[in-house]
Amino acid sequence: MSTILEAQDLKKYFKTKNGYLHAVDGVSFRIEEGKTLGVVGESGCGKSTLGRIVLHLHESTGGKLFYQGQDITHVNKPRLRQLREDMQIIFQDPFSSLNPRMSVRETIAEPLILNGKERGTDLNNEVDRVMETVGLPQRLADSYPHELDGGRRQRIGIGRALALNPRFIVCDEPVSALDVSIQAQILNLLQDLQEEKKLSYMFITHDLSVVKYISHDIAVMYLGQLVEKAETKALFARPAHPYTKALLSAILLPDIHAKKERIILKGEITSPINPPKGCRFAGRCQYATSRCEEEQKLEEVEKNHFVACCRAKELGM
Amino acid sequence: MESVHKELLKIENLVVEYTSEDNIIHAVNGIDLDILEGETVGLVGETGAGKTTIAKSILRILPDPPAKICGGKIVFQGTDILQMKEEEIRSIRGRQISMIFQDPMTALNPTITVGKQIAEAVGLHEKLTKSERKQKAIQILEKAGISRERYDDFPHQFSGGMKQRAVIAMALVCSPLLLLADEPTTALDVTIQAQVLQMMSELKKEFHTSVLMITHDLGVVAETCDKVAVIYAGEIIEFGTAEDIFDHAAHPYTLGLFGSLPDLNSENRRLKPISGMMPDPAHLPAGCKFYDRCPHASPKCRNSVPDKRKLGQSHYVRCFYSGGNV
Repeated sequence: MSTILEAQDLKKYFKTKNGYLHAVDGVSFRIEEGKTLGVVGESGCGKSTLGRIVLHLHESTGGKLFYQGQDITHVNKPRLRQLREDMQIIFQDPFSSLNPRMSVRETIAEPLILNGKERGTDLNNEVDRVMETVGLPQRLADSYPHELDGGRRQRIGIGRALALNPRFIVCDEPVSALDVSIQAQILNLLQDLQEEKKLSYMFITHDLSVVKYISHDIAVMYLGQLVEKAETKALFARPAHPYTKALLSAILLPDIHAKKERIILKGEITSPINPPKGCRFAGRCQYATSRCEEEQKLEEVEKNHFVACCRAKELGM
Repeated sequence: MESVHKELLKIENLVVEYTSEDNIIHAVNGIDLDILEGETVGLVGETGAGKTTIAKSILRILPDPPAKICGGKIVFQGTDILQMKEEEIRSIRGRQISMIFQDPMTALNPTITVGKQIAEAVGLHEKLTKSERKQKAIQILEKAGISRERYDDFPHQFSGGMKQRAVIAMALVCSPLLLLADEPTTALDVTIQAQVLQMMSELKKEFHTSVLMITHDLGVVAETCDKVAVIYAGEIIEFGTAEDIFDHAAHPYTLGLFGSLPDLNSENRRLKPISGMMPDPAHLPAGCKFYDRCPHASPKCRNSVPDKRKLGQSHYVRCFYSGGNV
């Protein structure tokens, strides 16, 4: 299996009037071909920014990015256009990410036209093929987004991302705006597409049950940094970081017999502007000690399971 | 706990329509719902099922036009809210029945400090001096887990979770008999959701408030509700205790909702979604509204609307199909 995307120590700082906002602060990960990396975290943790840096929708402040072994940290325009054929994104909100003045056909055709792929009847055939792949009936080809419900709109978003036959897709909360019955349809579709086309996903979400369902590996993000990274099974079975534990314990299961002890976190995420050098979770952590004021690095606690917490080992997993 | 089983609110055959330029949208189609004192009833359904319309009908805050309550009764403590004069219903709003929304900013004024807004709400309810009002407002903030130093902060200085906690505390300060909670935690992060729900249940116990919990999230229902009404296209298609619904669900739609959820405890990598989507409320089918998505549909379902079929003491389902795990 080969690595499709690798990030080393990625950083993105935004300048604000109160100082630098550390949106993404030294994040490293690797996504294997045909696999899904789930990135979980709460609002403001930098997960969407991370997805955008990967696609050069934001330029990173520091760190390195490799696509199929090639350094793509800094690329020129023609190369970027090439890359975009391979790397696409699906957005959360299918209401605002589609042009209301473009029909379904025009929306899906646009990336094909822009990249000079197809024209004339070939273009139409290609659009038909994409629509079929994402489960949009032909009769909707001339409909406009406002005529369709959220699930179908999200299918357009997926179709548009798929039009150029990408190899890697950033899915930024693709099902969060959808009702559960529709959400399940879209998740199944994303999985079918992955198997069929050997796609790799970076799946960004705040929903832990969704991320468990779809991901092979999971990275947990807190205030711009990864605090834990593991294979999905291991993360759910043996969460090691106090934040991951709290996050998992806060999931509400649709089961009345599953009453369990919740770890209710005190306080809120602190400001990402000029954050402290040490553990950023320490302020809310019940296990925090003076050692947490030092910088925490991801360390391997078992094979392929990394945790950035100096007390993880002694607290037992 | 002598009054636990007393009936607080009884909705009978409520029908609400919205009129648009060329259509009539049948949002609520003959709903019956009882809420007992001190009880939390979940109203579960997807976007457009009519959940919020029901809650707004209870407070009579639906915009008319386009909305129109076409029939039914909403009996609150023995009096039909729909027959009340404007002054009467106004004296109930906020005092006896409160409502909180998904977005806390619908309830907060962005130009007034949070503390002052709470003190104002206190003043509407009780005759107190200015300093007593402030004292009480500070107590409420602290109940919501917000320190008194934040009294003079404006809403925008609060995080989303803090705003929602402040609003919930504010809604409960007048110890209303009924709280209508419309997706109160949907916009919040999971760890914050856990905080807010915990606070809500503590306050609910303290004030012995009944709650109508409107949500699309079965996890929230499992956590908070005593009884559950599952609503689909403006009809309650299944009703029962939390145990009835979570352990003995009978309606294909209810079962479909459970099948759509990724199960954290199973290794299964395939979801079983409900095919298709909810019917257009302007053109509802004649028979069962779930007909064209239902795996058990028969010709009978196409033409006639199923009546309530009793399955237990409070458990009923509107479905002709009685196979499966009924």
